[in-house]
Amino acid sequence: MPRLPNTSPQTLSVLELLLESPRSWHYGYALSQLTGLKSGTLYPILLRLADQGWLETRWAEPEQPGRPPRHTYRLTGEGAKTARTKLAEAAPLRMTRRLAFVPGSR
Amino acid sequence: MQMHGFLGRLADVLARQLLSWLHRRVEPGSREWLDALTAESECADDGWQRLLWALGGVPLVWTINKRRQMNEPARGTMRAPIVRGVANIAAIAGGFAVIIPATYLATYFFRCHLFFGNQPGGCQEHPFVFASIAICGTVLGMIIALALRARFAAFWWAVVSVCNTVGSVWYLRSGIADLPRYGATQSAMLMAATFGVVLAAIMRDTPWTETDHGPSHHVGDSAGAPAPFLSRHRITAYLIAGTISFAMADSLTRMRDRHLVADNVNHYAVLGSAMFAAILAGLIGRHGSRLSAKGTIVRL
Repeated sequence: MPRLPNTSPQTLSVLELLLESPRSWHYGYALSQLTGLKSGTLYPILLRLADQGWLETRWAEPEQPGRPPRHTYRLTGEGAKTARTKLAEAAPLRMTRRLAFVPGSR
Repeated sequence: MQMHGFLGRLADVLARQLLSWLHRRVEPGSREWLDALTAESECADDGWQRLLWALGGVPLVWTINKRRQMNEPARGTMRAPIVRGVANIAAIAGGFAVIIPATYLATYFFRCHLFFGNQPGGCQEHPFVFASIAICGTVLGMIIALALRARFAAFWWAVVSVCNTVGSVWYLRSGIADLPRYGATQSAMLMAATFGVVLAAIMRDTPWTETDHGPSHHVGDSAGAPAPFLSRHRITAYLIAGTISFAMADSLTRMRDRHLVADNVNHYAVLGSAMFAAILAGLIGRHGSRLSAKGTIVRL
């Protein structure tokens, strides 16, 4: 059975992180560090979320001179609402997955 | 410690080269996400981390291109290769349509015969006529190809015109003394010219140097690194392509034990073919880049 869109563990971990501070802008590198996702996994997820209108993007001026402008992301109002629903729906499954990795839980 | 530093720098260079190469794989209008990934690569602590980060650009480019293909209307995607194929075939066939009648017209006009050996009354008695037809015909083929924006055909004619030009010079200088060996020289020249064109076409600079979204920046500039060496020194790039092509053709000839006519002029002919072909292909590539920037090129 095909998986529903935006319910992969990787996407959910990105959504969870973005929801922690939904009104602030996030950098791709920081998201990668915090979620533990590689750039090749993270960016296609961000691209897809932006295409679906869940994510707002903006080019921010660099903090250090000589550096290129940075792309930043935050959830849209609709995106935040849907992300909360998705995370709530996936919570029992995610809990089971986490428990499966706790030593002695099997 | 020094070795570690060297490897780190090497990884850094590889990361930048990879990102630069990936940029060329994406159309300007779809580069926003790759630019985003490139900009973030500056946050990496060392060369290895940057290389790991840059490797993520490969699946991203695949996703971007797949998304673009899905969004394109089906008619447009079918039409482009058809137009491209027709333009290339027309340019190749058009060139032959000019050369062959012109050669026969010259044969009639000069009352000579198309003998390519040592037979009396053959083309060797009118070398300038045949050389001019052969060279002008192929150059015309190249011009037709460029006019039709058919880059493959232009490269095709570049190879043939190089072989004809160098072959004519070779003939006018030394004459045909030993046909089987001249055949080996011709094969080597053709190989060298083909390698030269292919290498120079691969080495040609990216046609897309502008960005059409966000603040203007390019991977070579934005990352604080200079543009790739071969982009800054085009002539050097073509000479490298020519040298490699000569070496490849010469090695293949030696490996097959096909001895050329025992005169150094043959090696000069092969070297000349390789160099001339690389430079010609480079010029075609530059012409194509300018047309591409205007949005009028028919790609390979």
